[in-house]
Amino acid sequence: MEVAVLLMGVLYGLLIGIIPAAGATTGLVTVFSFLYLFPDPYLAVIFCMAVVAASTTGDSFTGVLLGIPGANSAATTMIDGHPLALQGRSTYALTAAITSSTVNGLLWGSLVFFLLPYYGSLMLYLGIPELWAFTILAFACVVFISSNSWIRSLIALGIGLFLGAIGTDPNTASERFTGGWFYLEDGLQLMPIVAGLFAFPELIAGLKRGRIAPIMTGFKQRREGFKAVWENRWLSLRGGFIGAFVGMLPALGGAVGDWIAYGQTVATNPNEKFGNGNIKGVIGPEGVNNAQKATSMIPTVLFGIPGAPFAAVLLSLFAYLNFELGSIDLLQDEKFFSSLTFGFMYGSIIVAIICLLAMPWISRLAQIPFIYYAPVLFAFIVWSCVQYTGGWEDYLILFLATLLGLACKKYKFSRPALLIGFLLCERIENLTIQMTDLYTLNMLMSRPLFITLTLLTLGVFSWGLLRKSQLDYV
Amino acid sequence: MGIIKKIAIGLCLVFTTPAMATGALGNKNDVVLVVPQKVGGGTSVWASIVAKELEKYLGQKVVLDHHPSARDIGGFNEFHNGYQYLDNHIMVSHGGNGVSFLQEEVEYNYADYDSVGLMNLNIIVAKRKDFKSPVKFAAGSGMTPEAFAIAMLLCDPRNTPKGYAICFETKVKWVKGMSGGERRLAFRRGELNGTRENPAAYKKHVEGDDNAEIWFHHGILVDGVHVDDDNYIGYQFEDLYEKKWGIKPSGNFYDAYKLVKSFRDGMQKALWVRKGNPNRDRFVAALEQVATNPESVAAIEEKVGKYYWYTGDFGNEHRDTLMSLITEPALKTLITFNRDALGLDSVYKENLVD
Repeated sequence: MEVAVLLMGVLYGLLIGIIPAAGATTGLVTVFSFLYLFPDPYLAVIFCMAVVAASTTGDSFTGVLLGIPGANSAATTMIDGHPLALQGRSTYALTAAITSSTVNGLLWGSLVFFLLPYYGSLMLYLGIPELWAFTILAFACVVFISSNSWIRSLIALGIGLFLGAIGTDPNTASERFTGGWFYLEDGLQLMPIVAGLFAFPELIAGLKRGRIAPIMTGFKQRREGFKAVWENRWLSLRGGFIGAFVGMLPALGGAVGDWIAYGQTVATNPNEKFGNGNIKGVIGPEGVNNAQKATSMIPTVLFGIPGAPFAAVLLSLFAYLNFELGSIDLLQDEKFFSSLTFGFMYGSIIVAIICLLAMPWISRLAQIPFIYYAPVLFAFIVWSCVQYTGGWEDYLILFLATLLGLACKKYKFSRPALLIGFLLCERIENLTIQMTDLYTLNMLMSRPLFITLTLLTLGVFSWGLLRKSQLDYV
Repeated sequence: MGIIKKIAIGLCLVFTTPAMATGALGNKNDVVLVVPQKVGGGTSVWASIVAKELEKYLGQKVVLDHHPSARDIGGFNEFHNGYQYLDNHIMVSHGGNGVSFLQEEVEYNYADYDSVGLMNLNIIVAKRKDFKSPVKFAAGSGMTPEAFAIAMLLCDPRNTPKGYAICFETKVKWVKGMSGGERRLAFRRGELNGTRENPAAYKKHVEGDDNAEIWFHHGILVDGVHVDDDNYIGYQFEDLYEKKWGIKPSGNFYDAYKLVKSFRDGMQKALWVRKGNPNRDRFVAALEQVATNPESVAAIEEKVGKYYWYTGDFGNEHRDTLMSLITEPALKTLITFNRDALGLDSVYKENLVD
């Protein structure tokens, strides 16, 4: 029974993962509607963890094949992955992406799930200043790395921050930048922004192009993909380490880890160009994905504090199943932990096997003229974007975000920078308020990790200002 | 593009998009709980547990319909302006809605509905054992009762409301922009030295922490008076105040505190229908069975702690008691303190006093 549930979770997660603009969070929200079908709550745990593992792996497909982030944070894979697909090397890119992601997911999954009880003290060491510094470092990475014009990136980041600030002012609890429109009081929703910035501009580009790539043989590319990961194994493991570390920090999520990993990939290869299909630009950030998902479970399980958006949904799903994450009782429930481990680890393995075996055929999707599947993608994207209220407002925001995405693409403003600004605006504003309220400069100067991260950010700034551009992607 | 292709694409879009976009919610025979927040929020989880229990006694499917918005006001407004007229719809409200009702421009009004049932809860406030002044506490409009209580415990009782606001600003760091999870973690790390939780969350997040101890609790509202909580005897705010200052708490500032804590904790979780809803008696009967069945009670208590339901007309009576606490001086003091000490954009609503 466990195996059957695991397989169902993997297939469902994979399906969600390959839907543009959807990801683990969307997949888990939908699970609420059929949760009652599970005869045993531990089976539901296995299913949910398989969904997390499979949807994360499935993300790579849309990033590489379509140039659309599969989830809110997987924007880095497409920067070098999609140009590879356009060159007819999608199997090569996908094999490298999935291998890097799976290996790191299994490595950090083993460490997390087997050593979970020992992480408590580390979590308590990382305070508000460190979370703030991590976020600023991610901003620096995205500004100087996601585009060859850092000024345009900075403007895009500013636009993203402005869009993210729409809603409620945390200082006064009153509305801000809403123009009196009640719908905006809870802020702009993520899905329409992702879809508008990336999905529709790429769909339109795909329709103009007709198809993604010429037909190329897939099996040779698969071998080359494995070889590339082996040759860049330290890069992949560094990505995994970054993902694992960021995953442990509550609520930062993959967006931060992805960009820091991409940043270190570019920085450690100063003589190479990125953005035109450099496989290292796929391997580095893909190391983050599953590792980050695994370690996000630490704050979620230990403290009942979600480590990422998907973990927040998982928390309530488990609460519905009467598993109170963060409670002492649950920490002693061995069956719960074995279900968690079984679902994530075996889910990761199975989805990797399915993807790697079926890759040459899945990649052939890239050869099908866009016109045949663009309507289906369009329907899926619209569906995921109107889950907030289902009203006309959702459609309007999607339309406006699409116009913004098209303008950014045309005038070469970094869309990833805009997305990161939007995603992390609330977080950075709140962290800044909290840090300035609770810490003095002297207190901050006595925190080694905070100082290290701040110096790293300054390093990225100076490097970004002085370097010759390594990146062609916008 | 050929005409056949264009037609095929058009048909595909026309049929798939709306069907997928609207296919989430069940059918018209279901009972619908209108939840004013996103999937995964605290009240949403509570509502999903209650829905599961209610289904057993109603013999109907009970589904959740989420209407998220800022501070969970929009969903309740939508119920007020439309959903209440659908006989199978029940509104789920929480303590935050009660606080917003007092101090923000909202469209809903508790006086307009009939109670199916509500949970009268308590909120427990903890502090770090190594507590040193100033108090560092997470802000938020839902934390207003804690701000009042802390001000009264720390500041001279002869203060005017304005004086309390000045004293509060000097003795408390009111840290804004923290979610519940961040607050808990910051408290564990010692970045905050005070926090508050509902009884179930208190057990989970505070009681296991060797560095934390109870500071006070707000008490449970019974017939218009707050009484001690059997689970935390001797820590009720009113008792600690009397012990510290030698007098019982009274005056406009205390009335404002009593008002806001009653609206938050006294209807911490509540179910409402339109007055005259023909299904109300059936809903109440089902909820009474939920409230008396040990298994159902245990499932709900795991989420919010061990407190009791006021069902049907008892819920209405409890609501009426709360409404009687709204007086002009109390409401004006609440709004003034919110603005002066907490930086909130609160509004004084004359119609509530009328």
